[in-house]
Amino acid sequence: MTGTTIAGRATGRDRPRRRMLGDDPGRLGLLFVVPALALVIVFRIVPLIWGFGTSLTDYDGMSAARFVGIANYAALTRDPVFLDSIVNMLILLATLPVWIGLPMLLAILIHQGVPGGKLFRAVYFFPAVLSSVIVGAIFNMLLRYDGSFNAMLKALGFSAVDWLGNSSTALFSLIAVQLWATFGMSLLIFLAGLSTVPSDMLEAAKLDGAGLFGTWWHIVIPSIRPIIEFAAVVTTIGMLTSMFGLIYVLTAGGPGTSTTLPEFLIWLEQGRMNRPGYASAISMVLFALMAGLAFIQIRIMSRNASL
Amino acid sequence: MAAVEIRQKRALTIIALPMVLLALSCVYPVFFTINAALKTRKGFVLDRFGLASDPTLANFAQAWNQSRLSEYFTNSVVVTIGAVLTLLVVSSLAGYALAVLRFRGAKIVFTIILVSLMIPVQVVLVPFYRTMIALDLVNSRAGLVIAYTAFFLPFSVYLMTAFYARLPRELFEAAQIDGAGLIQVWWHIMLPMGKPALITLGILNTLYCWNDVLISLLVLQDERTLMVGIAALRGEYTTNVPLLAAGIVLAAAPIVIIYVIFQRQIVSGIAVGAVKG
Repeated sequence: MTGTTIAGRATGRDRPRRRMLGDDPGRLGLLFVVPALALVIVFRIVPLIWGFGTSLTDYDGMSAARFVGIANYAALTRDPVFLDSIVNMLILLATLPVWIGLPMLLAILIHQGVPGGKLFRAVYFFPAVLSSVIVGAIFNMLLRYDGSFNAMLKALGFSAVDWLGNSSTALFSLIAVQLWATFGMSLLIFLAGLSTVPSDMLEAAKLDGAGLFGTWWHIVIPSIRPIIEFAAVVTTIGMLTSMFGLIYVLTAGGPGTSTTLPEFLIWLEQGRMNRPGYASAISMVLFALMAGLAFIQIRIMSRNASL
Repeated sequence: MAAVEIRQKRALTIIALPMVLLALSCVYPVFFTINAALKTRKGFVLDRFGLASDPTLANFAQAWNQSRLSEYFTNSVVVTIGAVLTLLVVSSLAGYALAVLRFRGAKIVFTIILVSLMIPVQVVLVPFYRTMIALDLVNSRAGLVIAYTAFFLPFSVYLMTAFYARLPRELFEAAQIDGAGLIQVWWHIMLPMGKPALITLGILNTLYCWNDVLISLLVLQDERTLMVGIAALRGEYTTNVPLLAAGIVLAAAPIVIIYVIFQRQIVSGIAVGAVKG
């Protein structure tokens, strides 16, 4: 490869160089990736394989594990708590169009020169830098029965609702708060994508007398399609794996199971410590859901890395 | 043409109104929290929403001292700095090896590291925890540093590799001809040249480490990081809103300051990966 030819050329010069470890790109290259590779293998890849193995046993944390095949997975299909968590997850996933549409609309508006666009961008992104714990603790105060949100509703003539304490509104509240906390992130992704739309196309459309919405529909949105796909994949991965902190602080999965998502259920099962096999089976279901999405994300990323 | 432009300008101005409302919704929760933190407990009960009439810093002092936030704050600072530095060194070495040295098997290693993006901590929660116990890394700040590095590493390696791959190869070749060893090349060329990417990664990883709660809950059980401490504070002081609010302000302040100072780097860091650039 290129590396070896360079080394060969260098040593071929009049000044002969000492051969040492620092001169062999092949060996040193391998040495330099060892820390990264070892961390990833020891703490992620081996645990994944180990977890899959555990999910096929009846290990209870104490007595020796016995192989039980897919019994844990079969038990999952009869576990009402697990099924509730899947239903909650599907409800969450069904809101995806809002998670994509809202930031996309805002990004297009900012890109097209809404007055104060820079300020909007800074303010909209602000919640995204806050920890889910901070967001959860703040909204806990705002969404209480005697909190700001109900006070505002009452001022507008509506009646107060116990947003977090009522099983019919808790999941909706959780989703809305997470959307509030993350839409700025997608907004930035869309803005980055929009900056690649050639402006002469927009000018041409303007000359043709195309209206604002016509321009969006026929030029802007088609040209950022890859970005829409990327945002959809990243957002969905986030829905499956970054809600833990917010659930932990805002609702603790309740009332009942109304805000329990699979990732939170894994945490609850892990805390009980008495059936790691079962907890691992839930993990594997989450992994199966994740893997396909992450595969698409990785393909986009390695394409963009242009290696 | 001018007519179209004027019409568009007017439309955009009208649309800006709901955008202002949305912006207010982003700012109000923060205003409410700071305002509540400045009230006495009694003052808050009497007037929840009005401006703090007689602002006090007593809540901050109480949260900092009695609720042990100072201790948690130290833990978070130590762990975040340790993890971010480790991440920068490890990912810059790996990026150098993968993009510049291009040893045999580099592509496979790059793929393995990227593929681990598919494995978030929830997916390996049980075996990861048992690995940490087996290596005696539970309840140690060094253990949390290692755990953060393992879980936040793939994106950092990805970014450094992509960044180094775009540097002109002549830089590397010229240094080699000058007789610099490959380790010197890393230290004298790769680290300084990689500065923009390293700064972006430093800031993003600071956000991730400081804000994390799940890994910290699992690894640091006796001591606590700030976010775990805030979550606990919320459970203990459900009725003392001003105290909780003060804790929230203290915990979020460092990140908000970083955001205000480094907004540009954060924004460009988020965009990487989505757009070829």
